[in-house]
Amino acid sequence: MSKEMKKVFFIIIILAMAILFILSIDIEYGNPKNLDVTNYYINQGLHDTGAINLVAAIYLGYRAYDTLIETIVLFVAVTGVVFYLRGKR
Amino acid sequence: MGSSKIIRTIVQKLFPFIVLFGLYLISHGHLSPGGGFQGGVVIGTAIILLALSYGIEKTEKKFENKRLSMLEKLGILTFIFLGFLSIFLGHSFLGNFLPLGKPGQIASGGLMLLFNIAIGIEVAAGVSIIFYALVKYRGEI
Amino acid sequence: MNPINISLLVFMIGLYGVISKNNLIKKIMGLTIMNGSIVLFFISIGYREAGLAPILGKGTTGGIPTTIFVDPVPQALMLTAIVISISITALALALIVRIYAKYKTLDIQQLSKER
Repeated sequence: MSKEMKKVFFIIIILAMAILFILSIDIEYGNPKNLDVTNYYINQGLHDTGAINLVAAIYLGYRAYDTLIETIVLFVAVTGVVFYLRGKR
Repeated sequence: MGSSKIIRTIVQKLFPFIVLFGLYLISHGHLSPGGGFQGGVVIGTAIILLALSYGIEKTEKKFENKRLSMLEKLGILTFIFLGFLSIFLGHSFLGNFLPLGKPGQIASGGLMLLFNIAIGIEVAAGVSIIFYALVKYRGEI
Repeated sequence: MNPINISLLVFMIGLYGVISKNNLIKKIMGLTIMNGSIVLFFISIGYREAGLAPILGKGTTGGIPTTIFVDPVPQALMLTAIVISISITALALALIVRIYAKYKTLDIQQLSKER
């Protein structure tokens, strides 16, 4: 795109972000509202999994399937990098 | 084409401590902040530090590309194998079948220590393989 | 002026980097900055007043803990987001090496005239 169109686009983005910033200047901080799942994980985490690190009890105990898929994503990324940077055969 | 002699001496003295810190982060993943991903990246960074200060040819004689690739595949296959082993023993996929133990010790939490070790090996080998592939590209430039 | 507003500012800085810079590597740096701002936003949503880190003490044996902990659920979600950010940066850098090998330039204006 040309230089003038890029400048207009840039000014529109800055204006939208500034309006969003001004509208959210007094957002509520430090007071989350619905904590049902969190209270269950805090109260029952040690009894169900046996780990005192609650974050590890969530991502290795209750939601271990997501961690498996994430390791597969990292494995596919390493395979992609090795495929692109193979060099001369 | 490594770095100067001061950097080579300091890296040679520091390398076991960085690997030890990475192993501490992996093995205490269920007791304090840390875990498989964090410890694996620390160990991968130690290998990258060796490659930056000694040159890529000398580092590849010690940490070969084929061996790191086999370690990475071993890590991800151990994770999947543990999941299916849990189905064969009657629980759900990736469920816990080991005894829970006393909270606060290393041998607690059931399968979480084995998960952390498998993820740590996989992430350390993955980061090192990415670095080797980016540095050793000898195609058309 | 809480961390939620600051994460919006950092997101704007990353977006400026992706839009207005001509070099390809600076665009990828803008992507990484935007990823970092989203991680900061999610973690600062789960903050509770006078809360501690979500790690129980060494001597707890059972029962319901009485101290106030911050929310551990967004922290567990952001671990996955950080790993995905690494994957995106690694693949983008591999593509940039191949682009430079073929076209001998990394300027986006000259690359868009190539076809």
